[in-house]
Amino acid sequence: MGRASDALIPRPIGESKLRIDGRDKAIGAALYTDDLQFGNALLHARIKRSPHPHALIKRIDVSKARALPGVKAVVTGQDFPGYIGLYLQDRQIFCRDRVRYVGDPVVGVAAISENIAEQALDLIDVDYEVLEPVLDPELGVSAQAPLIHPDLEKYAVVNFIFPEPGTNISNHFKIRKGDVDNAWDQCASIVERRYRIPHIQHVPLEPHIAVAKQDELGEVTLWGSSQSPFAQRNLIAQSLGLSQSEIRVVSPYVGGGFGSKAGVSMEALAVAIATRARGRPVKLRLTREEEFYTAFVRQGLVAHFKMGCDASGRLLAMENKFYWDGGAYTEYGVNITRAAGYSCTGPYEVPNVRGDSYCVYTNHPVGGPMRGFGMPEMHAGLEQCIDELSLQIGMDPVEFRRLNCLKTGSTLVTGGRMHAIGLLQCLEKVSEAIEWGSKAPPSTPTKRRGKGVAIMWKAPAMPPNAGSSAWVELAEDGQVNVGVGGQDMGQGSFTIAAQMAAAALGVPYESVRVAAPVDTRYSPYEWQTVASRLTWSMGNAVVSAARDVRRQVLQVAAEAWGETPEDLDIVNGTVISYKSEKETPLKNLGIYGLPKPDGRGWRGGPIIGRGSFMPSDVTGLDPETGQGEKAVVHYTTGAQAVELEVDLDTGRIEIIRGVGAFDVGRAINPEMVKAQMEGGFVQGVSSALYEHLQLKNGFVQNPSLVDYRIATAVDIPGELQSFIVEVPQDDGPWGARGIGEHSMVPTLPAIANAIYDAVGIRLEGPPFSAEKVFLAMLDAGIVK
Amino acid sequence: MVFHKINLTVNDEYEEMVVPSNMTLLQMLREKMALTGTKNGCSAGECGACTVLMNGEPVNSCMVLAVECNAATIITVEGLARDNQLDPVQEAVIEAGGVQCGFCTPGILMSSRALLNRNPDPDEKEIAEALVGNLCRCTGYARIIRAIKEAARMKPGTSALSATD
Amino acid sequence: MSLDAHPGLPEFEYVKPETLAEASQFLAVHRGEARPFVGGTDVFVRMRDGVWSDKYLVDVKCLGDLNRIAFEPLRGLVIGAAVNMNRVIAFQAVREKYAVLAEAAESCASYQLRTRATIVGNICNASPAGDTIGACLLLDGILDVHGTDGMREEPLGSFFLGSGKTSLRPGDIVTSIRLPAPPKGLAGRYIKHGRNKISDLAIVGVTVVGCPRDDQASGYRIRLALASVAPVPLVVDEVEAILSNKKIDAKGIAEAAQAAMSACDPIDDVRGSTRYRRLMVRNLSIKALTDVWEQLRK
Repeated sequence: MGRASDALIPRPIGESKLRIDGRDKAIGAALYTDDLQFGNALLHARIKRSPHPHALIKRIDVSKARALPGVKAVVTGQDFPGYIGLYLQDRQIFCRDRVRYVGDPVVGVAAISENIAEQALDLIDVDYEVLEPVLDPELGVSAQAPLIHPDLEKYAVVNFIFPEPGTNISNHFKIRKGDVDNAWDQCASIVERRYRIPHIQHVPLEPHIAVAKQDELGEVTLWGSSQSPFAQRNLIAQSLGLSQSEIRVVSPYVGGGFGSKAGVSMEALAVAIATRARGRPVKLRLTREEEFYTAFVRQGLVAHFKMGCDASGRLLAMENKFYWDGGAYTEYGVNITRAAGYSCTGPYEVPNVRGDSYCVYTNHPVGGPMRGFGMPEMHAGLEQCIDELSLQIGMDPVEFRRLNCLKTGSTLVTGGRMHAIGLLQCLEKVSEAIEWGSKAPPSTPTKRRGKGVAIMWKAPAMPPNAGSSAWVELAEDGQVNVGVGGQDMGQGSFTIAAQMAAAALGVPYESVRVAAPVDTRYSPYEWQTVASRLTWSMGNAVVSAARDVRRQVLQVAAEAWGETPEDLDIVNGTVISYKSEKETPLKNLGIYGLPKPDGRGWRGGPIIGRGSFMPSDVTGLDPETGQGEKAVVHYTTGAQAVELEVDLDTGRIEIIRGVGAFDVGRAINPEMVKAQMEGGFVQGVSSALYEHLQLKNGFVQNPSLVDYRIATAVDIPGELQSFIVEVPQDDGPWGARGIGEHSMVPTLPAIANAIYDAVGIRLEGPPFSAEKVFLAMLDAGIVK
Repeated sequence: MVFHKINLTVNDEYEEMVVPSNMTLLQMLREKMALTGTKNGCSAGECGACTVLMNGEPVNSCMVLAVECNAATIITVEGLARDNQLDPVQEAVIEAGGVQCGFCTPGILMSSRALLNRNPDPDEKEIAEALVGNLCRCTGYARIIRAIKEAARMKPGTSALSATD
Repeated sequence: MSLDAHPGLPEFEYVKPETLAEASQFLAVHRGEARPFVGGTDVFVRMRDGVWSDKYLVDVKCLGDLNRIAFEPLRGLVIGAAVNMNRVIAFQAVREKYAVLAEAAESCASYQLRTRATIVGNICNASPAGDTIGACLLLDGILDVHGTDGMREEPLGSFFLGSGKTSLRPGDIVTSIRLPAPPKGLAGRYIKHGRNKISDLAIVGVTVVGCPRDDQASGYRIRLALASVAPVPLVVDEVEAILSNKKIDAKGIAEAAQAAMSACDPIDDVRGSTRYRRLMVRNLSIKALTDVWEQLRK
């Protein structure tokens, strides 16, 4: 299947082919969901949402809305009793008796125009009984906190998530390893810190959108901007009491996801409304403002770190406690908290660990998956504590990491052993590239310069049986069609699939097409496009399917030529025999086969190759100790370093240069891998310097691009270098593993460490806005 | 609701349209003219995904009323390629790896084309400033900026991509 | 406010009068439910947010000389109300004689928005964060206003009455702003502090202009205006007083900056705190005053 072999890497593996969809996107021909045409049957939906963070619904009167000319459907939670959720079914499509965040959907309206649907919302009366909200996760776990989900114990939940009924804790992941309490006495130095990481949002350029239609037989079609067509099919079917085959999900190009378009969020609303629209398709789009507070957001985190090392700098113990501000529904967020739990030491070997990761319900926007899945939030504080600890014992921060970081064979926090990794190489590369140890003078007398480094690890966080599949077929012209269920949301998965199919089959990249859009009726199953898992998991399936085609082609040719398949090969789209030097192009062969040697009849026929991949050896983790033989499929590790300047007059941070190095196992397309490293770095810088979903009393204060700032073209570092390290993944295609998320993980702490290097201050949490940095310097007496 | 008759040129084609007062140029292009290349990212003039050229200058089409376009000349991303040849900014952005999800791409291309029209040899700082109103969440901008610098040097049709299939 | 943003613009009537007289008449008759507009960058956003809900939007772009920008040595610079910011920035006389105005305009928003945004529009919205208003104030701008009883002039200094409030009356249309011929040796600087490097709204904006003046003890007249730190764009008169009556040096500049800090009255909002804004007024005033001082001394 995917056994790595350094002996021969077939083309075009390792080549930086141009994106398969680049041209379509550059000429404006690539279709996104809002570009699809549905004719004048199309209805437009708008949602009436809760104005309160926490309240009981007492009465809903939709009669005036129903009567508005042009309104064709009005639905409420009364029509949809089912629960929905990926890991924990704690959510209903429309609220039935209770609203749990500002923006929670209460009523859905479909009308002949978006404007009429919007007007109808004002005609709907909802009476609420306001309840006390929970606005902080640490307060949320206290016995006095109001219960947001009193029925928590009744919710269906997967067997690796552990809610605590009667509380607001929807998951509690524990690590109990070694003897932490006694280990402190042996520590020469201890650091104890609290970090607060605020909510941020993905800000995909394309807001969420879905179009749904239910036909006369009750079968549903859902078009949407989605990372997870198959998961949406599965979850929505379950919630509506349909079976999976009664829902078809089609996802055209996705204009950015970063996790926000995984799982199910607003798509279920469109489907629900469509079930009352008498066969007409219903389009629901989020405004940019709604995107900020009603789509998934990244959970906030209050993290308590305590870590200690001996006199030689070896880490002895960590006691880390995470309180995740999960928001109103944590059906997805519970797994983020689990992932942080089993990663809670960071990429270090620590013999004594106590870890507690709590997912806490709050009356805040819904926390969901965002690039890094808990790793950026956790490393934000952890990598700063590592720096602090190293400086406290007088050790260079890079040297400290060299000593303690995970290497091949290291013991993991969950008890297993680390596979072959190049984390140390990544660290060396970035420290060399940033010229660690030397300090250039600041560019002006009112600036201070600093350097900082951070390392990271992350595993794909997914159920142990998340699977991929693929098919490959040939057309008469010899061109190859690859069917996949994974999405390309910009990261390049279609291009990679084409490269891998080309390599495994023996055809030029240019002759391979990917069967897009992903359509659950025709595309092969893929769990979700998340977790940086496609290159590895979907890749294995694609390679398997392509090799299946290759085997069938060689079989037919061998029979037609009276030879054995072992002497045959496909090179550059031509079937050749090394023995007889016969050759035939792939044209027609994949459809019509070849004539028999004696001319009487044909062999072969239409060829379809299939491939399937599912991890088989992920063990569970003990619910009390978090220990297990194999916690995850594998880890991607890496490092970043930054050099920056702090302006003493304003507090503004300027990133002079950044460096990143990640061990991707094998770069299938090196330029695309680097593009992920660059994009992730800038998103990391943006989250460090600007981004903050400001919540007050449960309300988002800045739900617009005017006041939720992200990095623009002018805000990027002067110089950004990206290094690829390749320590092959033994079960990845030609050794490959994922990279999509990882480059956003160490950026913030690298910047924080550099700020400390420059001016000697640390902030309790991002963003490191000019204001926060300046006022911290002022309060520390560094400036007046 | 009063409707207005307007005539305008879009991508070199003369058009007569009837539009309500509150329809934006963006809505008219996407909903009435099947020109869906121009994207809606925020409807508030902040993200630049809706950038088109109006009388040669880049505007956020979500911030222009359709009725204001009477007698105007509009160019959208669909009108960038000429005679089956990609515009150098399109070729360059593809070759530099400056396209990922592609949603910001049409707006970026329009702003870039306008920049090169008024400043044929911009430096990287000028390119970045010209693109400050085009948000991109995927690429980190650097490849796009390098691409536009390269596009300034290219003549149309000099890359392998230029001929349509 | 943003929580209630609509997907699109609410219904309204677009009206395009043929003459200024017709426009003023219409606006007066429909007072309270009609608004003149040029670039629309403020109007459309506020209507979508539900903050403004005018029944009529009156397009005055093509009326009179609103599209004209011209410089005459005696009258000075006249910028028509419909002249977009990019045109102002590119206009030769602006770059040569009123450079601080170009600098302020260049700091606004994005190139796309500047294709639509106008100096006069900025002024009529009276947003305390308006980047170009400080320069217009310090350059003694005068507005030409067409109302139901014909044309009149309104000096900018007395134009702003409060946050978002001006001395305009129903039926009024500002047709242009005139900046008198600049004094000899004019130097200026606009420093804008936002959250991003550029393109953001100003958290604090400092405009300084100066010129040599024999009738001042210091030999110079230096003036300073602030954006985003008071309900209206704020000219700090003490700065002029401090820097006119004795020799200018770093100590005097620091004193002037302190006076600017004392004069401002910033709010706490999602963009910045009162405490930070005050301190940035001080620090950025020092920067801008020093910069202009150095320009003047050359």
